[in-house]
Amino acid sequence: MTSKQKYRVALFVFTAPTLLFFSIMVVYPILQTFQKSFFNWDGLTPATFNGLDNFRRLFQDDDFWVSLKNGLIFALVLVVYQLGLGTVLAIALSNKKIFGRKFFKTTYFIPVVLSSVVVSQLFIAIYNTDGGLVNSLFTALGINYQQAWLSGEHSSIWAIAFTNAWQNLGVHLVLIYAAIKSIPEQLYEAATIDGASFWRTHWKITIPLLGETYKFCLIMAITGGLNAFQNMFVMTNGGPGNISYTFTFMMYKAAFRSGEYGYGSAAAAFLVIECLLFTILINKFVAREKISY
Amino acid sequence: MLKRVMSRISSYGSLLFFVLISLYPLVWLLFYSFKNNEEIFSTNVFGVPHVWRFENYVNAFDVFDLVLYFKNSFIVSIGTVAITVFLSLMFSYAAARMKWRFADTARIYMTAGMFIPMQIILIPLLVLSRDLHLQDSYLAVIVPYVAFQLSFSTIIFYAFFRSLPFEIEESASIDGASVYRTFFSIMVPLVKPAIASVCIFVFLFAWNEFLVALVMISDNMLKTLPLGLLYFQTQFGSDWGTMGAVMVISTIPTIIIYLLFSEQIEKALTVSSAVKG
Repeated sequence: MTSKQKYRVALFVFTAPTLLFFSIMVVYPILQTFQKSFFNWDGLTPATFNGLDNFRRLFQDDDFWVSLKNGLIFALVLVVYQLGLGTVLAIALSNKKIFGRKFFKTTYFIPVVLSSVVVSQLFIAIYNTDGGLVNSLFTALGINYQQAWLSGEHSSIWAIAFTNAWQNLGVHLVLIYAAIKSIPEQLYEAATIDGASFWRTHWKITIPLLGETYKFCLIMAITGGLNAFQNMFVMTNGGPGNISYTFTFMMYKAAFRSGEYGYGSAAAAFLVIECLLFTILINKFVAREKISY
Repeated sequence: MLKRVMSRISSYGSLLFFVLISLYPLVWLLFYSFKNNEEIFSTNVFGVPHVWRFENYVNAFDVFDLVLYFKNSFIVSIGTVAITVFLSLMFSYAAARMKWRFADTARIYMTAGMFIPMQIILIPLLVLSRDLHLQDSYLAVIVPYVAFQLSFSTIIFYAFFRSLPFEIEESASIDGASVYRTFFSIMVPLVKPAIASVCIFVFLFAWNEFLVALVMISDNMLKTLPLGLLYFQTQFGSDWGTMGAVMVISTIPTIIIYLLFSEQIEKALTVSSAVKG
């Protein structure tokens, strides 16, 4: 073999297994999901084409509209809590005069490494109507605001979304903090000389320069919210009724409980389109030009 | 001066307040794992247990098959880590260091997986694993886990391989080393920190994953820890103290891993967000 041939063989050995594996296990199933969303299919017998029937049925399904609303609320909670609060905490942490930075960062990240099943089960106890942590806190403070958090029509989705936001704040905090650390010091020195206040400095310098990080965090938070499933599966099982439904839940129920794989695929396909739409919008409106400093 | 002191106080105040929000629920879990139902929900909601009921932990080991679930989670996680690291390390090396026309295209193709929500391919995945007869084996979850972690680990390894000077290969080839030898004896040792980061990340993912396991595993003997917890909740959900003990025990390994390797984890996270697309 010539050395060129050897090089080609090596290239094949290095890349082919991974590309093949990824194509078969990820890309091919994605195409399958889209294709099967146009079929009536029970997962066992051959599928029959039924055009847009699945999607027509989807739009007439009450669960669909509840899922859409819940996905958007979930995404909103994640964005406000993780990006909003994450930014405030990251800015406070980046102050050079703060001691114990490592302690704070480590603490905020601990919930991230827990299993979402554990966190969900923990929050079932926290939200418990009789003597749960939240209601007990209101009682202790003398505030008359006790609720059935997880079964209340208006509180349920917010309570579940908060659970997820609480668990994953650390991810966004670490990303935003790392981005702040990479902003050159001179910019802040110049602002201090000009007499700008602490918050004004950050509002005018830090936040605009975090554009790229925010883009990534926004995509993660919004698609994460639209995809939500595990928390509701453990905490409320979609109920009571359909008040904590999501698209993933619809897909799961249709495919794995009712054996309607085609209908489930349609819900999944809709979810991809929804996520893609938001990703495109974020890419269009947030940090359009590469930021350089 | 006064203003500066005030801003320090407000910074510390908000940081400490948030420590309370992040940690107290977990401390509360630890406390209630030593309490009985009455103490958890009425007589002593917030504080340290009056009576330390270690029997909750004894119960946990009696009624909950901890050893089995730990073993399953361990096998699944180690298997996922080994295959993911092996595959993505080789691919990233080729994408970052070898000269071929489609290097960039192939890399972008692989990293796009970062943004694909894994639940959307669950249905075809189940059918596929049935066709490949993976069902009711550890591979039924290991294979999808690897597929989903490949993108992330490729991004990390690619970034690390890119940061090394290109003269390394030149001098290796002058010394007569083959591509494989250069890769295994020179390049892999150089990216050890990245390998550590990816191992921890992928391990935590596989240890905690729940949705794929729920769909793919029906055999009780193969259930991973999160599935066991879910099953336990439906069976013994009314005994909160024992439930708490089970949750504490199953959480300890991940917290220890995190405390030991927090820097690698944070590094991997920031690298993956910086090198996208």
